[in-house]
Amino acid sequence: MTRLILLRLVHGVPLLLAVIIVCFLMLQMIPGDPVQAMVGDFPVTQAFRDSIEAKYRLNDPILTQLGSYLLNFAQGDFGFSFQNQMPVLDLILERLPRTILLAVAGFVVAIPVGLVVGLIAGLSPSRRADRIWTTLTLIAFAIPTFWLGQLLVMMFALKLDWFPTQGIGPFVSRAHGVDWLLERLHYLALPVAVFVVHEGARAARIMRASVQETLSQGYIVNARMKGLTRGEIIRKHLLRNSVLPVVTTSGYAFASTLGGTVLIESVFTWPGLGLLLVDAVRARDNMTVVGVVVVAAAMVIVVNLLVDVIYALTDPRVRSAR
Amino acid sequence: MTSPASSRSAAPGRSGFLRSLYDVFAQVMATSHGSFGVIILTILTVTAIFAPIIAPYDPIALTDDSLAPPSWTYLFGTDNLGHDIFSMVVYGARSSLIVGLSTALASLLLGGVMGMLAGYYRGVFETVLMRVAELFQTLPAIIIVLFLVSLFGSSFWLLLAAVALAIWPLQARLVYGQFIRLREADYVAAAIVAGLPVRHVILREMLPNAMQPIIVQVALDASIAILIEAALGYLGISDPNMVSWGQLLYEAQNFMSEAWWMSIFPGAAICLAIVGLNMVADGLNEAADPKSGSASRNFHD
Amino acid sequence: MIDVHERGSPSRPDGESGDAPLLRVEGLDVRLHVGATSVHAVRSVDFLVRRGECVGVVGESGSGKSTLARAVMRLMPNVSRVELGGAIIFDGRDLMTLPGAEMRKLRRKSGFSMVFQDPLGFLNPTKRIWRQVAEALSERPGGDRPFARVVKLLEEVGLPEPERVAKRYPHELSGGMRQRVVIAIALASEPQLLFADEPTTALDSTVQLLVLDTLRRLHRDRGTGMVVITHDLSVVAELCDRVYVMRGGEVIESGATVDIFEAPEDPYTARLIELSRASHTLGAAKLCAPASG
Repeated sequence: MTRLILLRLVHGVPLLLAVIIVCFLMLQMIPGDPVQAMVGDFPVTQAFRDSIEAKYRLNDPILTQLGSYLLNFAQGDFGFSFQNQMPVLDLILERLPRTILLAVAGFVVAIPVGLVVGLIAGLSPSRRADRIWTTLTLIAFAIPTFWLGQLLVMMFALKLDWFPTQGIGPFVSRAHGVDWLLERLHYLALPVAVFVVHEGARAARIMRASVQETLSQGYIVNARMKGLTRGEIIRKHLLRNSVLPVVTTSGYAFASTLGGTVLIESVFTWPGLGLLLVDAVRARDNMTVVGVVVVAAAMVIVVNLLVDVIYALTDPRVRSAR
Repeated sequence: MTSPASSRSAAPGRSGFLRSLYDVFAQVMATSHGSFGVIILTILTVTAIFAPIIAPYDPIALTDDSLAPPSWTYLFGTDNLGHDIFSMVVYGARSSLIVGLSTALASLLLGGVMGMLAGYYRGVFETVLMRVAELFQTLPAIIIVLFLVSLFGSSFWLLLAAVALAIWPLQARLVYGQFIRLREADYVAAAIVAGLPVRHVILREMLPNAMQPIIVQVALDASIAILIEAALGYLGISDPNMVSWGQLLYEAQNFMSEAWWMSIFPGAAICLAIVGLNMVADGLNEAADPKSGSASRNFHD
Repeated sequence: MIDVHERGSPSRPDGESGDAPLLRVEGLDVRLHVGATSVHAVRSVDFLVRRGECVGVVGESGSGKSTLARAVMRLMPNVSRVELGGAIIFDGRDLMTLPGAEMRKLRRKSGFSMVFQDPLGFLNPTKRIWRQVAEALSERPGGDRPFARVVKLLEEVGLPEPERVAKRYPHELSGGMRQRVVIAIALASEPQLLFADEPTTALDSTVQLLVLDTLRRLHRDRGTGMVVITHDLSVVAELCDRVYVMRGGEVIESGATVDIFEAPEDPYTARLIELSRASHTLGAAKLCAPASG
């Protein structure tokens, strides 16, 4: 078990290094001035040009450049954002918690909804009912999140005025206690609704397939042979075994959501990592772009590691394997 | 004794590549999801090809009315500048389908060749492919594309390349998995032992039998590509010189309270394309495993 | 005590042995519909099991022998529709018209149960053995007591170190051990009738003997009625008083095991016997003693 965790950790570090190296090589491939390539489309003063050249050793051989590039990352120096006039790392640390809040809130609501829908669909006895569920979840999953967000804003924010159109909260919040919490939920409601439709549909599709797969297993027949009731079979045999695959795939989906809920954050102007990336791409603020990409990769690697560990803990076959 | 295993060992795809392509098509049409998906995709393709005939207005020309609601004159209404939205949606089918088709085929070619080499020869090919695929999968496709677009610009061709580069590992992994599995099959082993040339073994024995999952992946790749293209348009980052559904949604953002039609129709078009492709994929999967869906029946007695 | 030959004669009316038979199947027809195709899996089969008797059902795969057992227990395979005809009388009750909840109670407690082949597939991979056996117990005592009862059951089916086995997961046991766990599960509800569907097929030959031994002992000690479904005639010879030979969904021959072994009437039966002799070098067919009910 510990070996499994260690193995995956040892695996993750070179992977992250590789991501940084690829970013470095990509920057090298941009034709023209290397300083401009790193900084983006911002005007550069001679003094700043000199400092960048010294810091990243741009006049040295390429391997030395790569070394100093990696070293800067290792020391937590992700560069400087010209657009925002602050260090990239500070920017990321400011944005990251908001993305985490959004992703956690979204998944906490979406996955249970998806599991229940998938369970109902998987258990439905008639072929027609099953087909209707499959079609509905397929359409729900196919709706682009940004379009759905737009529709929700048009309906529930602009027309009905139930929820705010965008943002994470008022600039100065005077609410406290329960009111403060309600205020937060008020701003979270529409983005979370998008998660429920998209991620919920994904989870429901996997859950449905998983339930049917589990139902075809011998131990379900054996459980019926034992004379267990429907409810007992669902509780004692079906749920655990069919939820497992959903946990893994939803975990991976959660990881990439942390890496950047680019679209949902853009629709609702939710100032997280994803929006930071989009703004940086628009402004060609390349140091910020690279910084967000590296942090996103790190998030994905870490969360995937956690998912694998959780999976190993819940499945006795994997647990005893090492 | 006839067992399922022995009937499988007679290579079903002997008659070759095109035949198996036709078989797959016939299978898709036999399922309700699949045939529905094919109908949707056919409508979209016809729309894209005959866009100049179908569209009543030039998509970039201005009409006299701006922000006109849907009517018989302007089926889907007009935007703030007076473009006819129906005509733009019709022309938008071209960009979406070109992006979807070309990137799916590019990743089929790239991923297919890499996957075949890795699955057939194993060894170095395998190691390299798995590492590269892993590297790509540490990032969501949309972020990879955003990264590349930020660095190299967002002209149409760069966009195509970026999307293909972001999604090819999916196809590579799938083909690799299929080839690993097929190498174990009796008829493939027999063909190799019989000294048939590698080209023959791969193209005539293995590929036809991996056709079904590969085509499923092509459909899924195309849907991801169309979604990414639309997303970039929506973010205002794609090539401004083309008419695309995503860009229409980008424009719609500023008129959400006064012109719902600017948002509804282009979004529905994206949705339709993605539903169509996913239905084809579903239909193929269902055709491959017709048992699914009956397992719960006896649970209810 | 009734002589094996007399007990075995199927032509004999049931009333004479004093009480009604445990299971009587008359003119059973089973049609399975899978999508557009349908299979007539069982064709007007008459079948009888007396209390405490061990009956064999022999046939190749696809002969309808498993479907027969599953139809009685109403545990049909996953197909789109099942059509049943005929009568199934168990312990004086008509199973054809019995509501689902009553069927469940019969499987739950002192009715019938089934030992499946491929024991790995029939055990839940994520639950410890003792929990899987405990949930089949006819009475469900609270606290620590189910564990103790499970251990007793595991001991009864001949598992060494039952306490340790009880706490294991299925994948940690050998095939023979798993098969005996599946037998323990089937016994946990204290059934009057036990169906054993290919109980030894998935096992090595040495383990097969152990499992056969276990089944024979249980049949003798508990007096449970038993139906052994197998393609392997030597298994029937080991365990059963009477035997039904099935082919293409029909019973083509039935009678006392000794009679059929010595003088098969149907050429198909004769061929089955020859095949089994050839593969097993059966020698003298050892017949199990009638249950001392």
